[in-house]
Amino acid sequence: MVPSGGEALLSVRRAAKFYGGKLVFKDVSCEVRPGEILLVAGPNGAGKSTLMRMMAGLSRPSAGEVILRAEPERTAYLGHATFIYPGMTALANLGFWGTMYGLSPSRDELVTLLTRVGLERAAEEKAGSFSRGMAQRLNLARVYMVRPTLLFLDEPGTGLDPRSLALLRREITGFRDHGTGVVWISHHVDKDTALADTVLALGGRRVEYFGPAREYAPEAEAC
Amino acid sequence: MLKRSAAMAAKDLRLSISGGQGLVQAVLLGLLLIFLFSLSKPLGGVITPQAAGAIFWLASAFGLVLVFNDLFAIEEANGARVGILSSPAPVHAVWVGKGLAGLCLLLVSQLVFLPATAAFLGQNVYGPWWLLLATLIGADIGLVVIGALLGALSQGQAARESLLSVIVFPLLLPVLLAGITLFAMCFSPEPMGEPDSWLGLILAFDALFAGAGLFLFPFVYSGEE
Repeated sequence: MVPSGGEALLSVRRAAKFYGGKLVFKDVSCEVRPGEILLVAGPNGAGKSTLMRMMAGLSRPSAGEVILRAEPERTAYLGHATFIYPGMTALANLGFWGTMYGLSPSRDELVTLLTRVGLERAAEEKAGSFSRGMAQRLNLARVYMVRPTLLFLDEPGTGLDPRSLALLRREITGFRDHGTGVVWISHHVDKDTALADTVLALGGRRVEYFGPAREYAPEAEAC
Repeated sequence: MLKRSAAMAAKDLRLSISGGQGLVQAVLLGLLLIFLFSLSKPLGGVITPQAAGAIFWLASAFGLVLVFNDLFAIEEANGARVGILSSPAPVHAVWVGKGLAGLCLLLVSQLVFLPATAAFLGQNVYGPWWLLLATLIGADIGLVVIGALLGALSQGQAARESLLSVIVFPLLLPVLLAGITLFAMCFSPEPMGEPDSWLGLILAFDALFAGAGLFLFPFVYSGEE
């Protein structure tokens, strides 16, 4: 287990986001260090996904700044969208994403990754025939391939059955234990707070809470 | 970047051909257009080389819209665009990859349109073959440069077919005009002037919109304001 600490992989300083003239949030500041899970909580429409897109460099802040110190090659994004191409096999999907990340994985390495997520028998099957759980496991294999130092999770458990969800939680804490900094938007804040180190709760277009997860008391809110 | 562009193009070609949508639709629509225009030919009459060139490039332009709608729809199925944007791959690799795939698919459809133009519209190639090939490749580069840029603009839009058509066709006018005139020179048994200025127009068009694409594509593809 790698202890948390060290220089922040990600720093957000007084960030704000407007869409047109509409304020989504303002004055958001936080940091993510290696081996730390930051859980982003808040009701629907609070701007959690917008904040994550900003943290991941997919969108610019309207004010303030986002500083990413993790190497782009070692930064991964796992969302509820699976990023798979249904018309390609699991192996071809993984090979394509490897190339996009500047890697040249051999077939054996790809098969090893698929074995790790329990998809070795489906390696040559078209991903379009996969269940939601299988598709998300293929997506997880993509994340393993990158060996991320910083991982963004945008409700990756959406639509998963309880068994797959439990597996996903185990993998997320596994990443943290290996020193990966994790930013996590979860549907299940009540359960997932226990796995997190810090919580950032958005609400009313501002930060309602930012601090240790053990001191966070979520209100009855639909996240 | 070239390796990533090649991977993107190979993936797009594989999915587009196996999916049987963009290319098949483009070829069928183009053939239908050429056949329907052939019915306007009076009995015993001929279609002028200029008109034949116009019909060929009209079929190509419609094919272009279908091809690029299909190519950019590939990333929409499971949110793969976010995956690409969050990867370290430069966004220009997407533009080059989509452009290469689109160029291959457009050339394949034109390989069908060309004999169809000869058969249905009664045309022969009298002019130099190099001119025909240079026009085809030069004008196609202009078409795919615009197609790859504006295909990204229309992604995720419910009315993407109409949006793409409305924006693309006016922009394509100069390169289509040059293509039509140069094809008319190739189809005509009589000399119809020098092709240099029209080839120059195609080159200038390609260079201008390649520059615009390089600059604009990252903004258009990421959807960032």
